[in-house]
Amino acid sequence: MLTVSVKWQKKVFEGIEIDVTLPPYVFKAQLYDLTGVPPERQKIMVKGGLLKDDADWSAIGVKDGQKLMMMGTADEIVKAPEKAIVFAEDLPEEEQATNLGYSAGLVNLGNTCYMNSTVQCLKSVPELKSALSNYSLAGRSNDVDQTSHMLTVATRELFGDLDRSVNAVSPTQFWMTLRKKFPQFSQLQNGMHMQQDAEECWTQLLYTLSQSLKAPASSEDSDAVKALFGVNLRSRVHCQESGEESSETESVYSLKCHISHEVNHLHEGLKHGLKGELEKTSPALGRTAVYLKESLIDSLPRYLTVQFVRFFWKRETNQKAKILRKVDYPLELDIFDLCSEDLRKKLEAPRQKLRDEEGKKLGLQPKSSSKDSDVKMTDAAEAPSNEGGESSTAAQQEGASSSSEKGTHMTGIYDLVTVLTHKGRSADSGHYVAWVKQESGKWIQYDDSHPSIQREEDITKLSGGGDWHMAYIIMYKARFVSM
Amino acid sequence: MAPVPDPNNVGGGGGAKRDEATMKVPSKDPKKKDDKKEDDLSEEDLELKQNLELYVERVQDPNPELQKAALESMRQEIRASTSSMTSVPKPLKFLRPHYGTLKEFHQNMAESDLKKLLADILSVLALTMSAEGKRESLGYRLTGSGGDIGSWGHEYVRNLAGEIAEEYTMRQSEEASVEDLMDLVKQIVAFHMKHNAETEAVDLLMDVEDLDLLLAHVDRTNFRRTCNYLTSSAKFLAGPDDMLVLDIAYMIYIKFEEYPNALQIALFLDNMQYVKQIFTSCTDLLRKKQFCYMISRHGITVEIDPEMVADKDDRDMLQDIVNNTKLSEGYLTLARDIEVMEAKTPEDIYKAHLLDGRASSGPSVDSARQNLAATFVNAFVNAGFGQDKLMTVPSDAASGIAGNWLFKNKEHGKTSAAASLGMILLWDVDAGLTQLDKYFHSSDNPVLAGALLGVGINNCGIKSDCDPALALLGEYIDNEDSSVRIGAIMGLGIAYAGSQNDQIRSSLSPILNDAKAPLDVIAFAALSLGMIYVGSCNEEVAQSIIFALMDRSEAQLGDALTRFLPLGLGLLYLGKQESVEATAEVSKTFNEKIRKYCDMTLLSCAYAGTGNVLKVQDLLAQCGEHLEKGDIHQGPAVLGLAMVAMSEELGLDMAIRSLERVLQYGEQNIRRAVPLALGLLCISNPKVNVMDTLSRLSHDTDSEVAMSAIISLGLIGAGTNNARIAGMLRNLSSYYYKDASLLFCVRIAQGFVHMGKGLLTLSPFHSERLLLSPTALAGIVTLLHACLDMKSIILGKYHYVLYFLVLAMQPRMMLTVDENLKPISVPVRVGQAVDVVGQAGRPKTITGFQTHSTPVLLAAGERAELATDKYIPLSPILEGFIILKENPDYRDEE
Repeated sequence: MLTVSVKWQKKVFEGIEIDVTLPPYVFKAQLYDLTGVPPERQKIMVKGGLLKDDADWSAIGVKDGQKLMMMGTADEIVKAPEKAIVFAEDLPEEEQATNLGYSAGLVNLGNTCYMNSTVQCLKSVPELKSALSNYSLAGRSNDVDQTSHMLTVATRELFGDLDRSVNAVSPTQFWMTLRKKFPQFSQLQNGMHMQQDAEECWTQLLYTLSQSLKAPASSEDSDAVKALFGVNLRSRVHCQESGEESSETESVYSLKCHISHEVNHLHEGLKHGLKGELEKTSPALGRTAVYLKESLIDSLPRYLTVQFVRFFWKRETNQKAKILRKVDYPLELDIFDLCSEDLRKKLEAPRQKLRDEEGKKLGLQPKSSSKDSDVKMTDAAEAPSNEGGESSTAAQQEGASSSSEKGTHMTGIYDLVTVLTHKGRSADSGHYVAWVKQESGKWIQYDDSHPSIQREEDITKLSGGGDWHMAYIIMYKARFVSM
Repeated sequence: MAPVPDPNNVGGGGGAKRDEATMKVPSKDPKKKDDKKEDDLSEEDLELKQNLELYVERVQDPNPELQKAALESMRQEIRASTSSMTSVPKPLKFLRPHYGTLKEFHQNMAESDLKKLLADILSVLALTMSAEGKRESLGYRLTGSGGDIGSWGHEYVRNLAGEIAEEYTMRQSEEASVEDLMDLVKQIVAFHMKHNAETEAVDLLMDVEDLDLLLAHVDRTNFRRTCNYLTSSAKFLAGPDDMLVLDIAYMIYIKFEEYPNALQIALFLDNMQYVKQIFTSCTDLLRKKQFCYMISRHGITVEIDPEMVADKDDRDMLQDIVNNTKLSEGYLTLARDIEVMEAKTPEDIYKAHLLDGRASSGPSVDSARQNLAATFVNAFVNAGFGQDKLMTVPSDAASGIAGNWLFKNKEHGKTSAAASLGMILLWDVDAGLTQLDKYFHSSDNPVLAGALLGVGINNCGIKSDCDPALALLGEYIDNEDSSVRIGAIMGLGIAYAGSQNDQIRSSLSPILNDAKAPLDVIAFAALSLGMIYVGSCNEEVAQSIIFALMDRSEAQLGDALTRFLPLGLGLLYLGKQESVEATAEVSKTFNEKIRKYCDMTLLSCAYAGTGNVLKVQDLLAQCGEHLEKGDIHQGPAVLGLAMVAMSEELGLDMAIRSLERVLQYGEQNIRRAVPLALGLLCISNPKVNVMDTLSRLSHDTDSEVAMSAIISLGLIGAGTNNARIAGMLRNLSSYYYKDASLLFCVRIAQGFVHMGKGLLTLSPFHSERLLLSPTALAGIVTLLHACLDMKSIILGKYHYVLYFLVLAMQPRMMLTVDENLKPISVPVRVGQAVDVVGQAGRPKTITGFQTHSTPVLLAAGERAELATDKYIPLSPILEGFIILKENPDYRDEE
C-alpha cells in the first residue's frame, strides 16, 4: 500500500492509497470517483512518461508520499463544424472580386482614359445595369441600327466583365464598337489614337443607350435612360424689345455649369447655365432679335448629371482651351430653387419629412433620457402624421409623371456619387480619371487599371484652381423619402 | 638678484635635455619675457625662490650635514605645496631650472641615504621635467628612499602609475623581473583605494595584470564602486581578461557578503560552482529566496541540492521559485494592479475605425490568412492572461465558439490556433493543461499538433517535478504524421530550452540520423536540440547535427528549412566564444551550399552578446562582398553583426550606424536582413532613429525588405504599446490592404507591439542589461533566421515558428513581495537609468523619475529605486520579484 497525493487542475487530493498489487487502472478508477474524469481520459504523469493502464507499479517506482500530477477533463471533445468554412483564398476569382468591395479597373488601350472613366462612372448606376441586362441580345427592334445594337451589347458585356473580374479588364470589344458607331473617336495623331473629350463620349454613349433601351412599345415613359438621367426644363423665352413671351419645354441629359468670373460655386454656375440669350427671328419685329431664355427644372431625374463647361474653343490658338477656375461643389446638392413653381410645391412635403427625420436623428435622441421625453416623442410622432395628411393630396397630384417609385418621393436633394475629372490643359490632352462612390460609402478612384481607395474629403478637393485633377462631369443621385 | 640660469645651459645632459626643457615649458624661449615675469613676483615668492636656489647650491655642497639639511628643507617646501594640484606648485616651478644640475649631481653622488633623498626629490621634479617615455620619475623613485608615496601628492602618484604601466609592458617584452615594480604598485594601489580613486587603482592593476592585489585593499566603503567599475570594464576587455576581471569582482562581492551581485556575476560567467558557493556561504533563507528569483529570471535550470539548503521543505520552496511556478501569479497580480485583465480582441488592436472609410469593408467571407493573423495577434496580446475572446470562451455557448474559431483556421493554421491556447495560458501549467486536454482527443492531425505545441509553450520556462510536457509529448515524437511530430518536437524544445535534459536528447537524436525522416522533422529536431542544449557545447548533440547535415542531399540543402540545422548547431555554442572552433573546422567540410551559412551562424552564435570588435569586423567584411545570386550566407552574417554587438550601448550604436552603410551599399539579400538586425539590436526598445529607418524600409519596393522591416517594427516595439509604432503599423495596414502577405506581417507586428497588453518585454538582457538570458536569445535568433526566408517559412506552412518568441517573453515588471512572498505595495521611484560608473561621490542613479506604487512596469533603460526607508530590498537590482525586509532602524516620522 502506497499513499500518494494527486494534483489535478488547481486541486490536490491528499492521501490516496494505491494497492500496488492491482493494475494502475484500479487507481484510475479511484481518481474517477474524485474528479469525474473517465479513466481513458486521465493522463497521470510519472517518471518517464504517462501511467499506462497495465503498467507494473514496481517498475514505475512511485514512492510513498509522492505528488502525482493528473491531466484530463470530462469536457466535450471539440469537433469540426459540420459545415466546412469557406475561406476567401479558396473562392473562385469572381467571388473574390465581390469581396473586395469594388470592381476592377480598365486597361488603357492608348489614350482611352476618356472612355474608361466614362464607363466607370456610368457603371456605378445600378438601374442602368439592370436595364442593360434586360436588353435582349437577339431581339433588336427595328428602329435601332446595327451599330447601336452592337454598342449596347458591348456595354452590357463590359459591365458584366468588370463585376466578375479581380484584375483589370481590357475593353477592346467595347472600344471597337464605339469607334464603329462614332468614327470621330478613331482620329489618329502621329499614328496613335487621339485623346478625346470625355463629355462627348458620355453624351454619345448615353444617347445610343437611350435609343436602344427604349421599350418596343416606344412611349415616352418607357425610355429607361431618360427616366434615369433626363431633366425636363421649362423655359420662358422673352424678348425685351418686343415684349413677346413664349414658353417651351425641352429634355436634357445634363445640366451645364457655366464658368464665368462670378462663378465660385456649382450653384451659381447652374443658375448661370439656365439663363441664356439667343437670337432668333421675332415674328413681331420681323427681324432677328435677342431673346432672353430662362429655364427652370420641371421634373427631376434619379441621377442628375452636371457638366462643368471648362472647355471652350479658343479661336486665336485654334484649340479647345480649358478654364482652370476653381468651382466648388458640395457632396449634397439642393436644387430646390432651380425648380419650377409646380415642382417646388410637389417637393415641399417630402422635404419637410426629410427635415423631420434628420431632426429626429440629431436632436431628439440625446433628449430621450430626459424626463419630458415622453411628451416630446409624442409631439414628434404627431408632426409627421399631420404632414402626411396634407401631402397625400400632393402625392396624388404628382400622378404618373412622377418618376419615383410608389411610396418614395424626390426631395430635390442629391448626393454626389461620381466625379469624372480631367487633368491637363486642354480637352484633347491630359488625363481623365473616374472617382466613384460605392454602395458601402467608400470612394474609389479608377485611374485606368488601378482602382484605389480615396477619402471623402479628398473628393471635394477636385474642384479645380490648379493643375490637380478637376471635376469635369459630376453625377448626383437623388435622395428619396418614403411617405 | 642673481641672473636666472638658463636650464638648458646648466643642464649637463646636452641636446636631449634641451629638447625636453623646451618641450615641457613652451613659454620659456625668449629671455626677456622671463625677466618681466621675474619682476611680477611677489615678495613671498621671491623669498621662496631665493631659498630654493640656496638649497640647490647647498645640496651640491660637499658637507653631508649641510646637504641633508638642504634636502630636508627642499622636501618640506615641495610637500607643503603639492597637497593641492590646481596649478603647478611654486617650488616645482622655481626648481625647474635646477633639474639638470641636480640630476648631474645625483649621478656623481656616492651611494648613501642622501643620494636616496635626492632621488626622491628628483623623482618629484621629473613629474614636470621628464621627457615622454623616459620614465625618469619612476626611475628615481625606485632608487629613492621609498617612503610614503602619498606624501608627494596625488598627481605624483598618478604620474607614477602611468609610468609603471609603460615600464611593465616593456619589461614584459624583455622578460625582465618586475618585482621592484610590484612593490611600488602595492603602495600606489593602497593609496588610490584610500583616496576614492578606485578606478585608477583598477586600471593600474589591469595594466600590471595583478588584479588579485585588489582583494587586499577593498573595504566596505569602496568595494561597490570598485566592483561596479570592474564589471562595466569587463565588457570592453578582450577574453580571457574579462573573465578574470569578473572573477575578482565576484570574489570581492563574496568577501563583503554582497551575494546578489555575486550571483549576477556567477550567472554571467555561467559558473555553477560559484552559484553553489553563494548558496552555501549565505545563511539567510530569505536572501536565498531572492537568489532563486534571480536565477529563475535568467531562465537556467538549477537544482537546489541539500548542500545548498539543508531543510527539505525550504529546499522545495526554493526549487519552486527557481522553477518559476509563481511567475503566472505575479504576472496576474501586475495585470490586476494595472487593470488590464479585460481580454482584447484582434480588432481592438487593429483599431480599423481610426482608418478612414475602410472599417466598414469587413469582408463577408473569412480569409484564412487574415484569420491566422488574428490567431497570432490574439495569442500574443492576451499572452499569460488566461482569458481571451476567441479561444477560451466557454465552449457550450452556441455549440462552442472556441471550437468555431479553431476551425476558422485552415489546415496547418489550426496548429497555430490550437497552440495559441498554450500562449494565452502561458506559465499557468495547471489551467493550460486542462484547457488543452480537449484537443488531445481530436482526430484532426493539425489540431493535435497544435495541442502538443501548446503544451510546450504553456510550460515555457516553468519546470516541474512531474515533467508534464515530457510525459505528454514524449509519445508523439515518433508519430507517423509529420505535423504531429513537429508539434511534439518543437513543444519539447520550447518547454525544455536550456535544461540539457538527457532523456529528450536520447529520443530526439535518432531522428536526426533517420534516413526516412522528412526534412522538416529533422530541421525542427535539430532546432529543439539546439535550444535544449543552448550554450552547453555538448559534443554528442553537435555530432548528431553534423552528421545530419552531411547526410543531406543537394536538393535538401537548398530547402529553406535546412537553415535550422546549422542554427541548431550554433545554438549549442551560444556565447561560448572559442569553444566553437573545433566545430567550425568541421563545418568547413560541408557541402559548399551550406558551408558558409553554417560558418556565419556558428561564428555569430558563439560570439553573441560579447561585443567582440574583431568578430564584428569579420562579419562586416562578409557583408561587403558582392556575390553572385543564390548565396544566402550574408543574411546570417548581418544578423550576426547585431548578435555580437548587442551587448553594450556603445557597440550597439556603432552597429546601427554600420548597418546604415550596409543598407546603402549591400546587395538585395543583405538589405533584407538589415531590418531584422536592427530589430534585434533594439528589441523591445523603440529607439526613434531605428524606428524611422524601419518605417522608411517598410515602404521599400522590394516586398521582402518591407516585410522584414514591418516585422522588425513589431520587434522593437514589442510589449511597449508604443503609440508611434502602433500608428505607423495602422497606416501600413491600410497601405498594404490589398497585399495579403504584407498585411499578414503588419498584423503580426501589431500583435508584437501590444504583446501582453504592454506588460511584456522580449529583451534577452536583464539585471540592468548585464545578464543575457541564453534561452531568450535563442528564441529570438531562431525567429530571425526564419524571417530570412519569410515566404517559405512564416508565410508558408511553418508560421508557428513565431511561437519561438515565447522563450524571450518576460514580464517587464518590478513586483515587491514581503517575507512571506506575498505582494506588498510600496512607493518606488522609476526613472531613466544613469551610468554612474567611475563617477566620484554618490551620484543619483536615476533621473527624471516619477514615484509609483509597486508593482510597476519598467521600460527599456529605466531603473527603479525604493522611495521609502521602511523596507530594505534584498537585491540591489530592482527588477522582477524583489523581496522586501522590514528595516529595523526605521521609525515613523510622526
